[in-house]
Amino acid sequence: MRRFLIRLAALSEKETLHMLRDPQVVYLALGLPLVLVLLFGYAVSFDVEDVEIAVVDRDHSAESRGFIQRLDESDAFDIVVALETEAEVEPLLRRDEVKAALVIPRGFAKSLLRGEETRLQLMMDGADGATARIALAYAAAIGQAETEDRMADAIGGIEPPVQARVRTWFNPRMESAQFVVPGLVAVILAVLAVLLSALTVAREWERGSMEQLFATPVDRLSVVLGKMLPYVALGLLQFVLVLTLGAWLFDVPVRGNFVVLVVAVTLFLVCVLGQGLFISMVTKSQQVATQIGAVSAILPSLILSGFLFPIENMPPLLQMIARVVPARYLIVTMRAVLLQGRGFEQVWPSLLSLVAIGAVIVGVTTMKFERRLD
Amino acid sequence: MNAIEVQELSRTFGDFTAVDRVSFEVKRQEIFGYLGANGAGKSTTIRMLCGLLMPTSGVARVAGVDVVADPESVKRSIGYMSQRFSLYMDLRVRENLEFFGGAYGVPPRRLAERIEVCLERVGLADEAETKTGALPGGTRQRVALASALLHEPKILFLDEPTAGVDPESRRRFWRLIRDLSATGTTIFVTTHYMDEAEYCDRIGLMVDGELVALDTPAGLKATHVPGALVRFDGPNVRKSLPAWARAEGVLEAQPFGAGVHVRYDPNATTPERLADVGGASAYKSVAPTLEDVFLAVAGR
Repeated sequence: MRRFLIRLAALSEKETLHMLRDPQVVYLALGLPLVLVLLFGYAVSFDVEDVEIAVVDRDHSAESRGFIQRLDESDAFDIVVALETEAEVEPLLRRDEVKAALVIPRGFAKSLLRGEETRLQLMMDGADGATARIALAYAAAIGQAETEDRMADAIGGIEPPVQARVRTWFNPRMESAQFVVPGLVAVILAVLAVLLSALTVAREWERGSMEQLFATPVDRLSVVLGKMLPYVALGLLQFVLVLTLGAWLFDVPVRGNFVVLVVAVTLFLVCVLGQGLFISMVTKSQQVATQIGAVSAILPSLILSGFLFPIENMPPLLQMIARVVPARYLIVTMRAVLLQGRGFEQVWPSLLSLVAIGAVIVGVTTMKFERRLD
Repeated sequence: MNAIEVQELSRTFGDFTAVDRVSFEVKRQEIFGYLGANGAGKSTTIRMLCGLLMPTSGVARVAGVDVVADPESVKRSIGYMSQRFSLYMDLRVRENLEFFGGAYGVPPRRLAERIEVCLERVGLADEAETKTGALPGGTRQRVALASALLHEPKILFLDEPTAGVDPESRRRFWRLIRDLSATGTTIFVTTHYMDEAEYCDRIGLMVDGELVALDTPAGLKATHVPGALVRFDGPNVRKSLPAWARAEGVLEAQPFGAGVHVRYDPNATTPERLADVGGASAYKSVAPTLEDVFLAVAGR
């Protein structure tokens, strides 16, 4: 046991020195999170604001002007032009001057006053599917509000019997950044951990120092853990950095137990570092390891983690695969703790999943770590 | 008991036989030289003895331990310096030694003492805080040697320790090797420098994976290059090689460097007569070297 600790200390100390002396690692480790937080925080936004819209008012009534004003007052739309005929809409859509057009048909006010079914036409540029979907929902909501107001007036001050009142908990203003930052932590940590650890073993194979290391009676678990420990520390540092940036720039709250987060991040790091070491051991080449590492880190943590797309909506096969993506459990835990203020009592199943995945990865990596040259 | 015992040791890579049924023993405290051209199977042998490569067949016992059955126990009692310089260039000399000492499991307090002793021994006590990458090649090799000595190994394996190192550093390195042997360490060293092999107590000669000769340097010379040796220099001596080869009393005529070495039976001819045969103006009697041995053995 004492020998194991001596070896583990020697290995992690050496790895720390490599890390600190390599300016690239420092830039990558601290620069990349900064860039990604700014990029994702500002660019990846599910909020739709100021969609350029043209309006064609064929009715010219007080009611139609009222509806247009309602549209203009919402943050979702920005009326850039008022047109006379529907024919003018298409060229504008084609030239990308507007993203949408609302047509209020002749007789809008009349049929509204008569209490008949009244139709409005909304044309959308569907090329940007995500924006179109969200803008449509906003427009429908505005129409709905108009209807409710009118019904209330017609019935004479009596509220409609069934009324949906939507209150969004935990992220009341539905700000994307609050939702994105926890997921971003997982992506950043996964990418950096897999890349950096994928390089370390392959580098030693290429330099020939692995042979010298294997000539010592060092045990494989010390090598695997010795290479991991310094990067776990670096990862925790990155985590704090991203969280601080998130809190500072996007008001991401920390409502729950911070200790839970540290535990979850540490477990997650063990999983992804193990993944990187495994790749490095198998490929033995820095170049190949970097490529496989990048793909195997980025894709699952971006796509199969619930970061951008809900896992429940995926086909069953992908849902199965998503079960072993560690990023998924970190993201669930992060959102639960940061936004919902949860603690160990609620998130332990996710933590347990991380423990299980980590144990398998470290176990396989250690077993696979042949201390021979053939 | 011998320090190393090898019986019928072989290693193949696919169809290629790198080491072919090699058998030898290395006595304690001996400097055993493993001599051969690049690709003759030297490194493959040394890696098998250090527990880094599985033999395809055969038995090897290092410090009394079977290398196949218990490679970890072998690793504890040996020091190894691989062919490629394999310390970490971005670490200081002391940091490299601390790392390898730790990997061998030397406790910290003991390690601090050992680092001082080993650096002193290789003459680098003043360079402890220098970055390893900033040192010249010959000095780096001495750092590598120091790193292999930290755990006080009984046997030291050195794979081409002086490859690509300047002559002065090579001599210095060999003085260290002899000192180590004198203080009780067994040394197994590979080289393709014939002059270095003269420092060894015994030499195994490897040609294409086979151990073709094994003896002391003097014994090898007596067996493989008997007779006397004379060297001819001059612009045209190479052309006379066939004439010398046919001459009476000549055992062998070989190009050697810029000149020619002719080995003859002193009872059958004289250097003067050979000079006449080849039309050479001058001759020089020389002592046979291991290179002559190598040429005689490998040329067969």
